[in-house]
Amino acid sequence: MKILATIKKEALLLIRDPGGLALIFLMPLGLVVVMALIQDAPFKDYQETKLEVVFVDYDQDSLGNKIQNAFLQSPNIQFVHYSDSNKARSVVRSGRYKAAIIIPAGASESLRKKNKQLIARIFSNLGYPGASADSTVLPATNIQVLFDPAIKVNYKQALTSAVEKVIANVQSEWIVDQLQNQLSGNTSPKGKMKVDFTKVLHVQQQYASKNINENLVLNSVQHNVPAWTMFAMFFILFPLAGNFIKEREEGSMLRLRLISGSQFPVISGKFLFYFGICLLQFVLMTVVGIFIMPMIGLQQLVLGNNLGGIFLTACSVAMAATGYGLLIAVFFRTPQQALSFGSISVVILAALGGVWVPVYVMPEILQGTSRFSPLNWGLESFNNLFLRDASTLAILPDVFKLISFAIVTLTFSIFIHKSRTIS
Amino acid sequence: MSDAIVRIQSITKLYKGSVQPAIADLRLEIPAGSVFGLLGPNGAGKSTLIMMLCGLMMPDEGSIRVLGMDAMKEGGAIRKRIGVAPQELALFPTLTAYENLFYFGKMYGLKTDIIKKQIAVYLEVFGLSDKARKRVHTFSGGMKRQLNLIAALLHDPTLLILDEPTAGVDVQSRNILLDFLMTLKAKNTTIIYSSHFLEEAEKICTQMAILDEGKLITQGIPSNLIGDHGDCTTLESLFLKLTGKHIRD
Repeated sequence: MKILATIKKEALLLIRDPGGLALIFLMPLGLVVVMALIQDAPFKDYQETKLEVVFVDYDQDSLGNKIQNAFLQSPNIQFVHYSDSNKARSVVRSGRYKAAIIIPAGASESLRKKNKQLIARIFSNLGYPGASADSTVLPATNIQVLFDPAIKVNYKQALTSAVEKVIANVQSEWIVDQLQNQLSGNTSPKGKMKVDFTKVLHVQQQYASKNINENLVLNSVQHNVPAWTMFAMFFILFPLAGNFIKEREEGSMLRLRLISGSQFPVISGKFLFYFGICLLQFVLMTVVGIFIMPMIGLQQLVLGNNLGGIFLTACSVAMAATGYGLLIAVFFRTPQQALSFGSISVVILAALGGVWVPVYVMPEILQGTSRFSPLNWGLESFNNLFLRDASTLAILPDVFKLISFAIVTLTFSIFIHKSRTIS
Repeated sequence: MSDAIVRIQSITKLYKGSVQPAIADLRLEIPAGSVFGLLGPNGAGKSTLIMMLCGLMMPDEGSIRVLGMDAMKEGGAIRKRIGVAPQELALFPTLTAYENLFYFGKMYGLKTDIIKKQIAVYLEVFGLSDKARKRVHTFSGGMKRQLNLIAALLHDPTLLILDEPTAGVDVQSRNILLDFLMTLKAKNTTIIYSSHFLEEAEKICTQMAILDEGKLITQGIPSNLIGDHGDCTTLESLFLKLTGKHIRD
């Protein structure tokens, strides 16, 4: 009953604290939405962004057409046609476009000549009558791919290899074509044969997840909703520590000390209340992820199938966040100390934990330290559940770390509070 | 004295980093049913002594028995039977008077119906019934003090400890408070009354002790103490004679 009374008291105090309410519910709401919107583009950079590439075709022959047709099927690359390479260079330099492909005049012809020479050599080598190997060294033809210096390296590599791949395909097609022409011209009465260039061996891309939505990847919503929700849950220390220290300063904590046996209900009541608030934050942010995000042009949050695992992780994060808030509340003597240290420490833990940017983007040394952040344990667990459809067993190590963190912080909180209650 | 409700034997308390003890070899007995004035200038050790009586602070030396229990070992049991109105206004300002008292009643472990009854009785006594649903931060200093006292009375304590109960209180509120204490005195409740208002103490205390710099300067019945010092006609003149006129921190 004492615990229930404390929970009710905490609820009344919070309801009458508009600043605290805003911090608990509006701040995370704002953070989740704003961060998801801001990070939508960078996340798409990796996965979905369309890259506009300037295309200058001085060749006006088959090679240019083949390259254009090949990229026409690409969902990520769109050609913007320019007729002047200097202009193309200028728009790329200015950053308006990220890259340009310039096909020089005579590129197709040059490729044909090269192929012809190659085939003549083969025939000559095989001893075909009338075939003579041409040993003239043909001048190299450069297809230029220009890049904006600010382009990401992975784009640069992807575009270069795509162009090289198209050229290689065109060259092989033409070799076969010319070979056929040569052979049919010499021997076959049936004329030219249609060669099937469809691939036998395919490279099939697939995500290793078992999710119902198997094409689901880490996008802005999938990252930001759990990440910033956890950040907000850890920011519970603001109202928790703020109220706790205020009670100490105003004297109500002294009265509670003067009431026999009130310390356990006071601490546990506070813990349970803020634990509940953390869970409420999680539910609210999840609802925002599922229903509000699609309304503002973002993807919908996909939870996966393991709702039990999600609840377990949310409870563990809530316990860890509340334990940490209580520790800060009992350890520091003034609100200024508690809130300054508390907020900075949560920001650091969040940054290390991969809340701001995913851990895999961080330098190796930070990736190592991120393992010590409770926010990282929570985020890993949520990612495993949302994206990889992990079983409860699979998330237990992270859950265990979070609960251990909660137990340690709670134990220290009780110990410090008790040592200050009786001196 | 066999009927002492508090028995303090040679206690000393030295705070960390402090050279002078807050309490130095203090011996004191407080009779049951008395209104015992605990007087002294700032830094005399009154608040430290109160904390030790409640079992929230341990003396470095000596022993304290309150209601027959060892304050060093049985602080919890002692706190169940005493009521303390601390010098600080130990209330939640954004809660109403009723919510504050109800919460403290719950923390005392009282049943809901008893808490409601006690709240109604005491708010009526102090003329605060119509303010029950008002938030405490809207109360005057006097009303807050009264509420502070009610919170210490909800569980009908055997021993009531009041630390500066009339600080910052207007004449009317003080009058109500003192009248109420007189009714408690009539019911034989033991009251330890710490105050700077000597006239007030002289009026209601049946026994008193004057402390200074952690030491007991004198102890006895107020009129006897004044009479023992022929040149003193009031408690204030006695107080100044015994503790000096220099200003304390």
